[in-house]
Amino acid sequence: MILDLLKKFTTLWVILFLLALFPIFTAAFDLPFWNDVVMRIMLLGMAAMGLNIVFGFGGMVSFGHAAFMGIGAYCAGISQYYGMDNGWYQLLISMVTCGILGLVIGFLALRTTGIYFIMITLAFAQMLYFFFVSLEQFGGDDGLIMDRSDFIFIDLYEPLRLYYLIFFTLVFVSIVLMLLIRSRFGVILQAIKSNENRVEAMGLNPLKFKITGYVISAVICGVSGCLFASWQEFVSPDIMHWTRSGDLMIIIILGGLTYVAGPLVGAIVFLLLEELLPDLLHVVFPSIAENWMIIFGPLLIAVVLFGKGGLMGVVGNRLTRPAARKDQ
Amino acid sequence: MNNKIITAALAAGFLASASVAFAETIKVGYMTTLSGGAGIIGKQMKNAVELAMEHKGGKLGGMDAEVIFVDDQRKPDVAKQLANKLIKSEKVDVIGGIIWSNLMMAIHKQVTRADTLLISSNAGPSPLAGSNCHKNFVSMSWQNDQTPEAMGKYMNSAGVKSVYAMAPNYQAGKDMIEGFKRFYKGEIVSEVYTKLGQTDFQAELSVLRAAKPAATFIFQPGGMGVNFVKQWNQAGMDNVSKLYTVFSVDGISLPALKDTALGTISTQTWSPDLDNAINNRFVADYKSKFGGYPSFYAAQAYDTILAIDHAVAKSGSKDTAKMRAVLAAGGIPTTRGSLQMNSNQFPIQNFYLREVVKDSDGVVTSKIIDTVFENHGDAYAQDCKF
Amino acid sequence: MTATLLLEQVFNGLQAGITLFLIAAGLTLILGIMDFVFLAHGSQVMIGAYAASAVTIATNNFYLGILAAIPITFFCGYLLEWLIIRHLYRRDHMDQVLATFGLILFFNEVIRITFGPAALFSNFPPSLAGFIEILPDTPYPVFRILIILVGLVCAVAIHLFVSRTRVGAMVRAGASNPEMTAALGINIKILFRFIFAAGATFAGLAGMMIGPLTSVEPGMGEPLLILSLVVIIIGGIGSVRGAFIAAIIIGLVDTIGRVMLPMLFRTFMSGPTADTAGPALASMSVYILMAVVLVFKPTGLFPPKGA
Repeated sequence: MILDLLKKFTTLWVILFLLALFPIFTAAFDLPFWNDVVMRIMLLGMAAMGLNIVFGFGGMVSFGHAAFMGIGAYCAGISQYYGMDNGWYQLLISMVTCGILGLVIGFLALRTTGIYFIMITLAFAQMLYFFFVSLEQFGGDDGLIMDRSDFIFIDLYEPLRLYYLIFFTLVFVSIVLMLLIRSRFGVILQAIKSNENRVEAMGLNPLKFKITGYVISAVICGVSGCLFASWQEFVSPDIMHWTRSGDLMIIIILGGLTYVAGPLVGAIVFLLLEELLPDLLHVVFPSIAENWMIIFGPLLIAVVLFGKGGLMGVVGNRLTRPAARKDQ
Repeated sequence: MNNKIITAALAAGFLASASVAFAETIKVGYMTTLSGGAGIIGKQMKNAVELAMEHKGGKLGGMDAEVIFVDDQRKPDVAKQLANKLIKSEKVDVIGGIIWSNLMMAIHKQVTRADTLLISSNAGPSPLAGSNCHKNFVSMSWQNDQTPEAMGKYMNSAGVKSVYAMAPNYQAGKDMIEGFKRFYKGEIVSEVYTKLGQTDFQAELSVLRAAKPAATFIFQPGGMGVNFVKQWNQAGMDNVSKLYTVFSVDGISLPALKDTALGTISTQTWSPDLDNAINNRFVADYKSKFGGYPSFYAAQAYDTILAIDHAVAKSGSKDTAKMRAVLAAGGIPTTRGSLQMNSNQFPIQNFYLREVVKDSDGVVTSKIIDTVFENHGDAYAQDCKF
Repeated sequence: MTATLLLEQVFNGLQAGITLFLIAAGLTLILGIMDFVFLAHGSQVMIGAYAASAVTIATNNFYLGILAAIPITFFCGYLLEWLIIRHLYRRDHMDQVLATFGLILFFNEVIRITFGPAALFSNFPPSLAGFIEILPDTPYPVFRILIILVGLVCAVAIHLFVSRTRVGAMVRAGASNPEMTAALGINIKILFRFIFAAGATFAGLAGMMIGPLTSVEPGMGEPLLILSLVVIIIGGIGSVRGAFIAAIIIGLVDTIGRVMLPMLFRTFMSGPTADTAGPALASMSVYILMAVVLVFKPTGLFPPKGA
């Protein structure tokens, strides 16, 4: 079975392999800063992969998933505020909280479809955002400074521990996704995306599957958020602003939303562009270096117009069969 | 965003100092918001820093200096990543700038822990002045509560009977009204918290008019200030109540407000007409080089560079502990005069009452009409133990 | 809160709602008829505001500014549809979201480069800066009354156009069955382009009117975009009537809720809690309203027939 998974998701495994070895590369060339960039890439990629369960494979455009990331982060931050430093417990709390919230919001929101669904998830995200902004005790929008969580066997203040904690979580999430997509559940979820009525006619309840998918994706985003809090050593409502959900969606679409590796590829490209584009622009066209988004905007449009299925669609399908195709 | 500037004067300085062997270069990482909605503030600060470097001939404290500008996009995680980059990749000696309190909170720990000097050009959240202070953090601006404290004191001593207070519903807004109430002991008719980013205040103005308070105190920064003051004027509210502001009319918003802001009162640590040699030169050169008056953000950014220059010159080194010892001792030459420092390394300074007027060229600007506080320290210094 | 004050707030809510309607009208048609998720609609508002302000500053004449800005906005919308939008109709919603999001970034930066990042100066022209006493002892800015009137006129005009004219019928036909409509000899492409440009013009008109009230700055359209999405969701996508009613409701709820909720909270809660809970709830109120509507009526209040 492992061999089977390796064959089907080659691109993802290759990327994970490279990520595992990356710190060796940065150590050799004395570029420790890039470990930080890659940690952020892994965290956002993880959240995006979680979102992609409902977004790419389930066809549900949820604007609320950054909120789950934020809740995961606040679970860590608030636990620490009350003296509970144990990282493992914080992860558990994040997962449970996001699971419950995902269930409630999913149940309410999934009564709608299409653009209505988009808007109601946006509404919930905004409500959560304003709620956390008004929580003065935890700093409101000024946020809460925190220490890296205590993961008992792993001292996160030792070099590279945090990197590999995030990395192995990412591997775990990736495997979960790979198995999920090829399981009966995953197949049905994708079937619901292409034709919900047909699935219903087969005697299955689409809503049950959609909600389950929603809950799983919420939990994954929560895990990412919990680790994100340790990386940033700071939590604030900014993480859950709806524009962050937009960022996650852009990452997914850039990478290719019908591919399991898509979100990770998208995260790599998106964050590298964010890092390098201003520098590049400064060399080529200094007077508008601050306006680097003027390149980014049309770039996104070009990807849509010419790069079918995101970057994975262009590059990846030579290495991997896509897990599902959109209805033609 | 990465921008290395080596000013033109550096070349001259190089040649001139060829005989004096200062092999060391001091690297300064300057972080502000350059892109997005608030980019105008970062732009002014960047202008001011570049002007300061020009005035100093590209050298700080006698050492050759390099300033690296980075754009935090107003996002805490980007700010954190940039701070990392500046410390680990660029290996800067000082990090300066930062407009927003939440960003400062995000990077404070890692910068100070890496034993890099962190100088704030604007942000001054209370935890960093009190219980969470750190010896590697120096403020060249103020503590968030102080400016509204000054307004509170002024209105109290001016005998204003009742005040209607309005601020946006976020941490800074609440801090402003807290600070105001610390010194104003009269009647607060109402405390209204508006929505962050609100553009139309007509509804609130209607309620205000019905309440007929003698005075109205507002904190509406950025675009919100432009909208509020404009609508206040458009609704003829000057006939109903007198408007007192903090951080709402300044060098950034006045060009958009023009005459609608005339007569508005504010308190601030600085004003373009503050009369001392450094400030006169700063304002004059800023106007001629960039067109238009600088804002207090720009003045504080300018002061940050002056502070670094002073610290290096006096200590003779770019070692963090030595530089901060110099700064902690006070007596820093800035656009606000010789600046004294509190025990928590926040400035002890004067607070002025200002009014919006037209200058001789017909351009709208702020003018000092009174001094509210002399040598005023912040309320959190006693909680700070290094 | 006295009756007079409440009535004044109704006026405020109406004005806010009418402005929202102008923006939402175009968006609901674009989304409903062309099935196109056009996130950059807020940019159309910005373009209208900037066009009007720029011309007003250059000519020192407010009316000239409006007069010039209307065709400019129409032309921009027309051009945008022709260059980019028409290639995206066939794509699925996700692609449209991505592409139009890219457009938002692009427009914001172009405006920033052309006009600078600072807000432009804009204000009422002296001829419209007066007050009318709409209620005893309540002077109300003439300009705001004007906005209400202009908005109502536009609403009536759109309604008559869509329901009474032949072109309006073509628009509705093109929505339900583009192929058939094309087969009948109607040029769907030109029709869509026209709808798009018209939607842009109304949004631009809203921008021109709120420009003097608020600040004309890059990115000014995005908050309005969110609100107008809420409006068309509550109203029902594709329904102009729904957009109108929903816009008025939202305008009233947002305006009156903002001032009344904190007051309400203060009556039964202690000071500091009331001061923060009230406004927090007020800022969420619009979203709560939308969520409630969607839970009971998942396709909005007035979904067009056959939607």
